[in-house]
Amino acid sequence: MDDWALPEINVLLCNRCGVCVQRCPTGAVEMGPEGPFIARAKDCTYCVRCEAICPQQAITCAFEIVWGIKNSETRTV
Amino acid sequence: MDPTAQVLRRVTLFASLSDDALARVARVAFRRTCAPGETVIFEGDPCQAAYFIAEGQVRVYRLSPGGREQVLARLGPGQAFNTVPPFQPQGINHATVQALTAVTLYVVTCGDFCRLVEECGELALAIVQDFANRLDHLANLVEDLSLRTVRGRLARFLLEHAPTELGEAADAVQVAQNWTQDEIAAHLGTVRDMVGRTLRAFADAGLVRVERQRIVLLDRDGLEAEAQR
Repeated sequence: MDDWALPEINVLLCNRCGVCVQRCPTGAVEMGPEGPFIARAKDCTYCVRCEAICPQQAITCAFEIVWGIKNSETRTV
Repeated sequence: MDPTAQVLRRVTLFASLSDDALARVARVAFRRTCAPGETVIFEGDPCQAAYFIAEGQVRVYRLSPGGREQVLARLGPGQAFNTVPPFQPQGINHATVQALTAVTLYVVTCGDFCRLVEECGELALAIVQDFANRLDHLANLVEDLSLRTVRGRLARFLLEHAPTELGEAADAVQVAQNWTQDEIAAHLGTVRDMVGRTLRAFADAGLVRVERQRIVLLDRDGLEAEAQR
């Protein structure tokens, strides 16, 4: 399992409005020369707020739907 | 086989066509490439053609009454879009389609598409089967919308889209499609905020656990009970 899965930011769709940077609750997103990026991956909680507020739909937070066992880790092959 | 036909063979809609029928499609299809971010078609414009994706990914979206883009789907190689309006007298594009990556499309104009359907029974049958599947999905969605709450629809969606349930052996291969909350919302006929809130409610009830990039289903009986609501 990739514990550091991060939101995907499509800089080609981004208009550099900076809302994602402003509204990230942990400050994980920064604006770089090519557009926003997750500067501090370990601070990203995958809360999907950036996806929700991006006016250009440039950020994607996708989910797998998997079975798990209560109080146990999901097992995937 | 003609190179265009070889590419078109990978399109789901054409997968069962004979070589002869496929060659007829290939003769009228022309290649178009789009750069990332380029809009392929605009919602509401008169329909010019049907499109078949050879390479790359596109997103399909419509504008909500409030002016916000609502993503309906992300499509990739082998998939098609704009295959319905060619058959409508004043066909218009039902959605806007934008390239997410560099995209290679094969395009068949409305006139050629309709003519092929008239002349080629195999293609007509393939299209009818595709439309029948879509109609089935929409009929189920109408039933869902009228009879079930968002909670019920989401629970059923999660149950239907989880891969094989793992037992203690846990040797099953998980083949999973990734879904954004927007795509789930479009599939259920609701908005992403409702999906997010309902997932949180399910997590609070112990039915699921929302992890980084995963929705983990925990309680099958509970979800099935929700799916009946």
